[in-house]
Amino acid sequence: MTFPSINETELVTRAQNGERNAFSELVCIHAQGVLNVIYRMCGDTQVAEDAAQETFIQAWLHLSSYRPQTSLRNWLYRIAVNAATDILRKEKRILPNALEDLQLNDPQPGPEALYSEGEQARVIQKAVLSLPHACRAVLVLREYEGLSYHEIADALGIPVGTVMSRLNYARKLLKDKLEQKLFLQVEAKNV
Amino acid sequence: MSNHITEWLNAYLDGELHGSRLHHVEVHLAECPVCQAELGSLESLSGLLKEVPAPPFTSSERFAAQVNLRLPHQQTATPGKRILEVGWWMIPVGLLGAWILINTSFLVSDILSAANNLGFLVSVSDWLGFDLSNQAYWSTTLGQFGVLSGNSLNWAASTEAFARTSLLEITLQVSIALLYLSWIAIWWARQQRQGHGQLLEG
Repeated sequence: MTFPSINETELVTRAQNGERNAFSELVCIHAQGVLNVIYRMCGDTQVAEDAAQETFIQAWLHLSSYRPQTSLRNWLYRIAVNAATDILRKEKRILPNALEDLQLNDPQPGPEALYSEGEQARVIQKAVLSLPHACRAVLVLREYEGLSYHEIADALGIPVGTVMSRLNYARKLLKDKLEQKLFLQVEAKNV
Repeated sequence: MSNHITEWLNAYLDGELHGSRLHHVEVHLAECPVCQAELGSLESLSGLLKEVPAPPFTSSERFAAQVNLRLPHQQTATPGKRILEVGWWMIPVGLLGAWILINTSFLVSDILSAANNLGFLVSVSDWLGFDLSNQAYWSTTLGQFGVLSGNSLNWAASTEAFARTSLLEITLQVSIALLYLSWIAIWWARQQRQGHGQLLEG
């Protein structure tokens, strides 16, 4: 469990008293994390930046409800995930029906295509974006932000058992979608 | 090898297993090629995911400046709100004080009545200007006019005495209890709202 540093606690207190500069410093500290979470959730840089701004505005408006003894990062991630989920609901275009689209678009991608760096990243990202929102949020916080199960549970307001089951499910779905790539990667490791 | 431990492999990979569970998984993995392969594919999957780079976002400083421009006025606590907040926390204190006052009043009243019935407080009741022993006024009057008599008169006198003392006490106690429970319910609802509602629950 990550607790806010003394400096961060002081910044939060000052921001809660209405100091914009203190809040800006907090934004600086957490901007990249929040941007990354939302981007991994929705897959669009511009949308991620807009949603991240909205996340911090909501955080500012509701800063009085934040309890300083808890992790500010987790609190912000919770708002960020909810903001991303709202956007995904509103803007279906961002969410591709990944695997189906993927298989239709790339019926038999050869090894060269699979190992083309850009193509590989695109395929993996599409597979991640095809996951159900709830599972995707858990996967993003674990794989890209490195949060522990307890931190994810804290951030999303769900039990640790639910974190485990959602993560298992997300990885199982991803393994099924990326089976061929995983096979090639394991083969490459063995060579 | 039966009884595979695939459901624990994710937690094992993430370093979330401890104690006997971790030991059990490690022992099983040392002997089970199926679970070893499963763990290998999970590791590969994790590696693949990390190969997807994040795009270059706006720098943190510039982003913070953009956010700062869009920040609306924060709902900071005004003096009026602070007074309301203090008043809110004074409600249970006030209710407790009222409860103590009521109980003390009735206790003192009971003691005075008992003392008066035993004849200790004749001079005091004269000095106070009321008759502590006789708490039934209407039934006594009705008895004097012949409307009530015998058992009916006794019953009416008891009921009137009960209504004057016990019923009043019960009503006040129940009212205080209901007010306190209402305060608890509102406090709980506020806590819930602060914890969840304001976080833009999806």
